[in-house]
Amino acid sequence: MRYEFRSILVRGAVLAAAAATSTSALADADLDSKISDSSNWAAQAGDYANHRYSTLNQVNASNVGKLQVAWTMSTGVLRGHEGSPLVIGDTMFIHTPFPNNVYAINLKDQTYKWKYEPKQDADVVPVMCCDTVNRGLAYGDGKIFLQQADTTLVALDAKSGKVVWTAKNGNPKIGETNTNAPHVFKDKVLTGISGGEFGVRGRVVAYDIKTGKQVWKGYSTGPDAEMLMDPAKTMTWTNGKMAPVGKDSSLKSWQGEQWKLGGGTTWGWYAYDPKLNLVYYGSGNPSTWNPAQRPGDNKWSMTIWARDLDTGVAKWVYQMTPHDEWDFDGVNEMILADVNKGGKAVPALVHFDRNGFGYTMNRQTGELLVAEKYDPQVNWATKVDMKTGRPIVDKKFSPGTTGPDVNVKDICPAALGSKDQQPSSYDPKSGLFFVPTNHVCMTYEPFQVEYTAGQPYVGATLTMFPTPNSHGGMGNFIAWDAAQGKIVWSKAEKFSVWSGALTTAGDVIFYGTLEGYIKAVSTKDGKELWKFKTPSGIIGNVFTYSYGSKQYVGVYSGIGGWAGIGMAAGLTESTAGLGAVGGYKDLAKYTTLGGSLFVFSLPEGT
Amino acid sequence: MRKSISAAIALSISATMIMLTSGPASADQPPGVYTVKDGNKVDDKTLEGWKTWRAMACERCHGPEQEGLVGPSLVNSLKTLSKDDFHATIQNGRPEKGMPNFGGVALVQKNWENLYNYLKGRSDGKIAPGHLYPVSQADAPPPPAGWNKPKS
Repeated sequence: MRYEFRSILVRGAVLAAAAATSTSALADADLDSKISDSSNWAAQAGDYANHRYSTLNQVNASNVGKLQVAWTMSTGVLRGHEGSPLVIGDTMFIHTPFPNNVYAINLKDQTYKWKYEPKQDADVVPVMCCDTVNRGLAYGDGKIFLQQADTTLVALDAKSGKVVWTAKNGNPKIGETNTNAPHVFKDKVLTGISGGEFGVRGRVVAYDIKTGKQVWKGYSTGPDAEMLMDPAKTMTWTNGKMAPVGKDSSLKSWQGEQWKLGGGTTWGWYAYDPKLNLVYYGSGNPSTWNPAQRPGDNKWSMTIWARDLDTGVAKWVYQMTPHDEWDFDGVNEMILADVNKGGKAVPALVHFDRNGFGYTMNRQTGELLVAEKYDPQVNWATKVDMKTGRPIVDKKFSPGTTGPDVNVKDICPAALGSKDQQPSSYDPKSGLFFVPTNHVCMTYEPFQVEYTAGQPYVGATLTMFPTPNSHGGMGNFIAWDAAQGKIVWSKAEKFSVWSGALTTAGDVIFYGTLEGYIKAVSTKDGKELWKFKTPSGIIGNVFTYSYGSKQYVGVYSGIGGWAGIGMAAGLTESTAGLGAVGGYKDLAKYTTLGGSLFVFSLPEGT
Repeated sequence: MRKSISAAIALSISATMIMLTSGPASADQPPGVYTVKDGNKVDDKTLEGWKTWRAMACERCHGPEQEGLVGPSLVNSLKTLSKDDFHATIQNGRPEKGMPNFGGVALVQKNWENLYNYLKGRSDGKIAPGHLYPVSQADAPPPPAGWNKPKS
């Protein structure tokens, strides 16, 4: 949410001049001013609140049908292209999947201003569970921040590309890697860790933006002090009201020392409320995927966290999927917006979880306001008990109930969820949320595994297929009312919509498809207004900026990620009972690997 | 007499579909050693080989049916890869191609030959993809329909 800065629209030229001479002592002022200039795209979500919304309206619902390619560029790398570039003034900052190259591009003529091409040990790649993606760069205090796959966090001078500082954020030898984008909030750079399939212990770390020194680290599991939890002050939704989490809330919910391999990784999209000074994010699956090996609620995996930005201390938490049996990581984006509830505007947090429920929380207090299915065919739980906050699990779809070596069929959603990391967008005009979803179900069979550091520690085999008794496709793009927990409109898609959505004041929503189309649809009813086929499937996030009085819309093209080429390649040989039929087989007809950036604008004179 | 005994033996073999050696083998490839019945019921050692495949999550790179994903098809590779080269690949990985080494995993150390035989059985088209069961398990579900039909 862009608070008091929202009404300020500063001309790009003025900002460029200011940036050239700026020696702002307050790191937050630099990024704040870049964000407030709508000609920039200065953060992965455009702002701190994960809105993915732009006030630019040169492109609008009437003329978007005329959108055409303005310029293109190869990234020089194959495999999954997640995230998006940043645009600040006359420079675009591009990032790539492993090996995580960074390029600064002059928007005037698309020449390279500088390149940063890190040297990383190739041994990192096999311990990345789900493709070699990178969710993008962050900007702040005159620096560009890159979170490398090998866990090194790098600060580069935005003008020269020179390394200012580095920080070692984890250890790939024990299966720790990074795919998330770092986040700049005020005077800190926040980052997380990946490796829930390798027995990694999840945490969020805050680094000083100027020096790269660690300021605080908050784990997802274990002793209170390591999670930065105050047993008396950290609150959670308990029987219809907020109550303290109590002493050893995590330790008491695990057996023995399993919490040390606990998971709860943190590779999603974080948000920040400057007024409350709170950082919001979600934690991932507990480790292993075999529930029998970790009796208990496994706190605080699958949890929405609110931490104080300065100290890291957890103000409130809410666990969405206690004792997970489906790999429904809680890491998806936290969107901060005012929601009209009971006749007044509540400072809310809205979250579309892997588990198929759309949650609305009071982000100040942590109260649970709404928890409703955003895909009606979600079946692992009948509903969320609003008093206890716990899902009512349907034992028919509970692999933990039937136990190891028993295959449970037709669980909806599949492990990749009703939505994975692909981020949704908020429209302040209508108050609606526009959500790219998956419409896929699974079979799930857990089994016993032993832990070896640096080796997969999974313990389940799955097959995935389009949701049965539905439209036959594997995705929907929906509009959601977060006050009521209702789908307002829904547009079926042939494949999972694995890209990030962008909404603009021109009343247009953009998103990309796994076949490779970038599409524009109407905010009013999802009607398709324009589309263009890029060379490869799209799993990146659409972004927009303006330069020289022209608005541009861009997206990476390059399939990969968990839903992408792995599914296409693996499931083309249909075998009844194992793997997919129909839909996924078709994906291989549309696309293969690629790596490029496409930028679109209206023709001259429009 | 001999003729009828041979015929009787041939009939009993085809009736129960027990195979003791691998099928088509290239000139210098020794056969895999596995017993398979009805496509998905195997001897205890081969079962351990399949369980090792499952525990190491090899399907993430090689596909749920060993058909290949970002890593190569093992159905193809095992037609020509010698047992020694298989062992070396498991031990050392192929770091330049993104395959980790499994030399430090106790389960793999113990079961690599069983894993080899399981994969050979898959490569030979004799062992079905997916879940395997002990030979003695009478109530095991059948293998996936059409698993041993040629792919179009």
